[in-house]
Amino acid sequence: MSWSGEIRTSAPSRARRFGRQNNFDKLARMPWGLVALIVGLAIFGTAMLYSSTATNPASADLPMKHFTRFLISFALMMGLALAPISYWKRAAFPAYGVALLLLIGVEFFGDTGGGAERWLELGPLRLQPSEFMKLALVMAVAHYYQITLRDNSGGFLIHLPAFAMVLAPAALILRQPDLGTALTVVAAGLVMIYFAGLYWRLILLALIGGLAGAPFAYFYVLKDYQRARVETLWNPTADPLGAGYQSEQAKIAIGSGGWDGKGFTQGTQSQLDFIPEQHTDFIFTVMAEEFGFLGSASMLLVWATVIVWGFLIAMRCNSSFGRFAAIGAVATIAFYVAFNVGMVAGLLPVVGIPMPLISYGGTAMLTVMAAFGLILSVHLHRDVKAP
Amino acid sequence: MSDLRDLDFEFSRRTMLAAGAGGVVWTTLLARLFQLQVLEGDRYASLAAENRVKLELAPPQRGRILDRFGTPLGAHRRAGRVTLIGEQVEDVPATLRRIAELIDLPADRQERIIRETARQASFVPVIVAEELTYEDFARMNVHAVSLPGVRVEMASTRSYPRGRDFAHVLGYVARASERDLGRLTEGANPSETELIRRLFKHPDMRTGRLGIEYLAEEWLRGTVGRHRVVTNAAGRVIEELPSDDLAPEAGRDVSITIDADLQRAAIERFGDESGAAVVIDIESGDILALVSTPTYDPNDFVNGISTSDYNALRENDRSPLFHKAYDGLYPPGSTFKMVVAAAALATGAVTPEQRVYCPGHYWFAGRKWHCWKRGGHGSVNMHSGIKGSCDAYFYEVARLTGVEEIAKMSRQFGFGHRWDIGVTGGKAGVVPNDAWKREALGEQWYEGETLNFGIGQGYLNASPLQLALMTARIATEGRDIRPNLIGVGPRPTEAEVPASSLDPEIMQRMKAGMFGVTSEPGGTARSSGDLGLGGPRLAGKTGTAQVRRITTEERNSGVRKGATLDRKLRDHALFVAYAPADDPKYAISVIVEHGEGGSRAAAPVARDILAYALKTDSRRAPAYRQTAQRSDTPASSRGTP
Repeated sequence: MSWSGEIRTSAPSRARRFGRQNNFDKLARMPWGLVALIVGLAIFGTAMLYSSTATNPASADLPMKHFTRFLISFALMMGLALAPISYWKRAAFPAYGVALLLLIGVEFFGDTGGGAERWLELGPLRLQPSEFMKLALVMAVAHYYQITLRDNSGGFLIHLPAFAMVLAPAALILRQPDLGTALTVVAAGLVMIYFAGLYWRLILLALIGGLAGAPFAYFYVLKDYQRARVETLWNPTADPLGAGYQSEQAKIAIGSGGWDGKGFTQGTQSQLDFIPEQHTDFIFTVMAEEFGFLGSASMLLVWATVIVWGFLIAMRCNSSFGRFAAIGAVATIAFYVAFNVGMVAGLLPVVGIPMPLISYGGTAMLTVMAAFGLILSVHLHRDVKAP
Repeated sequence: MSDLRDLDFEFSRRTMLAAGAGGVVWTTLLARLFQLQVLEGDRYASLAAENRVKLELAPPQRGRILDRFGTPLGAHRRAGRVTLIGEQVEDVPATLRRIAELIDLPADRQERIIRETARQASFVPVIVAEELTYEDFARMNVHAVSLPGVRVEMASTRSYPRGRDFAHVLGYVARASERDLGRLTEGANPSETELIRRLFKHPDMRTGRLGIEYLAEEWLRGTVGRHRVVTNAAGRVIEELPSDDLAPEAGRDVSITIDADLQRAAIERFGDESGAAVVIDIESGDILALVSTPTYDPNDFVNGISTSDYNALRENDRSPLFHKAYDGLYPPGSTFKMVVAAAALATGAVTPEQRVYCPGHYWFAGRKWHCWKRGGHGSVNMHSGIKGSCDAYFYEVARLTGVEEIAKMSRQFGFGHRWDIGVTGGKAGVVPNDAWKREALGEQWYEGETLNFGIGQGYLNASPLQLALMTARIATEGRDIRPNLIGVGPRPTEAEVPASSLDPEIMQRMKAGMFGVTSEPGGTARSSGDLGLGGPRLAGKTGTAQVRRITTEERNSGVRKGATLDRKLRDHALFVAYAPADDPKYAISVIVEHGEGGSRAAAPVARDILAYALKTDSRRAPAYRQTAQRSDTPASSRGTP
């Protein structure tokens, strides 16, 4: 597989269309293989949405809407990929500031959608600031480390502001409450701090502290319904019609797919609406039921490829901002996928994390595609020196 | 780039670790999927199958109720029906308005449906409309596709093809109320109770509320079946799977002894009069007609009668809801005189030829007791006493015989006993004597009351069924006839039926007297003696049941006659008879409420009904005796509502 997409033969005509030699070069070096995987996943996601809504005429337009959103987001991704990396860097702190303000706004003026205050209405726009925070945080932390690591003064103290940058939005998101997004934000942030060179001893200490603090968090931070979802994990059949219903039905759907599945649009669990949220967070169950283990394992492998690819892009970047930003973006996407599959497969509590590109949902699509744009941009600008 | 070079070393170590962690996570996820889909796939596959395939209760078809000759009286009719499942309808009022554009659905009915949807469990179908015409059914069927949660289906409903004719006998079915469910599940174990409750929630299911429908409930119900259906998570049926092996077993038919055509003719003969008639085949005791009029249409009750219609029935002063033939109790009046005469002869209190002089009244205890014939009957013996229905003669005979002997004889004829014929209700009536009076009124018996007893008045009362039975026992010259209504079905099991042994010789004298009534000079019902069939005559006895007491002043100033009297205060007219007089086959009792005179109002009705029975041979062998085994299985649970 080519890392840079060997399409130079047809390049001149493209270059002319885009007008500027600079962008032509960039397009030529675009990792088209990765782009193809992204497009493939989105098309597959549209097909799964079609299957999950096939028996419900009221939501027949969802697959088309999903794909339209993807096309718009795709244009955004390409735009972001081609934009000079310095734009990203300049935008980092302001974006973080705005996202933080929006989160505080949600705290006070938020709209309740589905029991949690996640939405902020600004005129015609209905925003989910927590989604934008994911990317803004990645950029801001990357920018922060680019600045602080340059003089290599090191020490433990330089990580403290980074922790603060991660925990402040995470706490706000947790209050909404949106446990899933908060976890993703913290996890991605921690990965970046880890790569920034936090002392091993501290990491060990943090791990121990985390494990010790878990019971405390369980009893004092989590809400009742969140606790119920955690309990469901250990004892899924205790409340089969209540908290455990979704989990149990999801497992039945996945498990009944067997080796090779029941066939496209033939999943009895999904076609007969046994799984709540099957077109959003639980869409993986539809795929697993209809395409079996072969399908679900293939999907995990495709995601692994995308993630490793992104990770390699990060590693090959010669600027620390680019490297950290790409790591943060890749980590965000990786946690999405891992949390989502872990959740629907009954390994993690149901926390409400969508499957990128597959699950129906506008803001998440934008976030993920912008993250890909960032990764692609890092690839295209890997030799641009940090200012 | 010195900053990065240092970092690179560190990065590669941390990269390896991060990659390793990622690898572990991915492997864990893959392993979990492998476990669920490959290792435990079969288990989850069967769980998924259980999830979607449900066993729905399939209600059995209720058994029919047939008349003597197999004419369906209680049957079923297939009719279009619209139901609505609350949880599948987003906006119930809007959906109902939409349906109202297609079929007739009044606003008050819409409101009732909305209330019921709110009350029922959300997956239970609520009936929107029943008995759709073919056009409505077709139209609804076309539009149902665009109305989620609305089902248009063919349903089986109980129907009573003979409508009003059998309302009191058959009773009716209705949707099971909470009270019905309590009764139906009485004594059932928890799982049976659950099953019954679920079954009766089915829109096809009805339960008997009255009459045979009530008492033969279990016989008629059948055995519940199942069918396999594919449902979605909300319980909506997506597909029905073949399930012949679980098909419900239809209920058994009940055949009754009544001839539906005779019943019809009898009701028509009554016209606007209210009253009752009972025709018995004197050989078998089969009840051939059991008429109570006016009556009501049980079909109105099957799908729930409106309150206003029900109140109209309840407040009607001719009591259409009341089963006069079985539940009604009337003083038998002069129709009782054969019983008094039989008691007198049996005890030897008088001889048949012993004469009593009737000047139009009778003196007893310093009081003047009037005979209905003011001019008097002159010298009267037993035969002419019955024929002319001489009150004076029976005052004397009753006094000589005594209350206890008359009461004893009454029981021999079937009075004072509730005859269980497999229909709800039924009255024993009152056969008074000293012990009864002390018990009921705390007072001793006075001899004057024996005189009233002697002409069938006073405390004595009886149902039309009992009067017909009395007549049948006379007509058979004392055979122990018992009334019987159920041909095939859960037959009443009476622990102690009072046995009867009547002296045939005495009964022959009674028959002769009754023949005199209709066929000899001086008989009170001579005009009704001829059946109009070119020969056969009937023998009978008239009677008048006083509704009010006639005061002495009134009698002195001339008893007021019916026309000047409020209908409600007029006397009841009675007539009992058998036919043909020379070879009795049928016995009948007729009461015309407020009909005044037995000979004028009741006898012609009885004559015409008997003529119809003879002409059409109502008592010929019933169909069920040729086709089905006569069953003696008793109903396992009995009760009165």
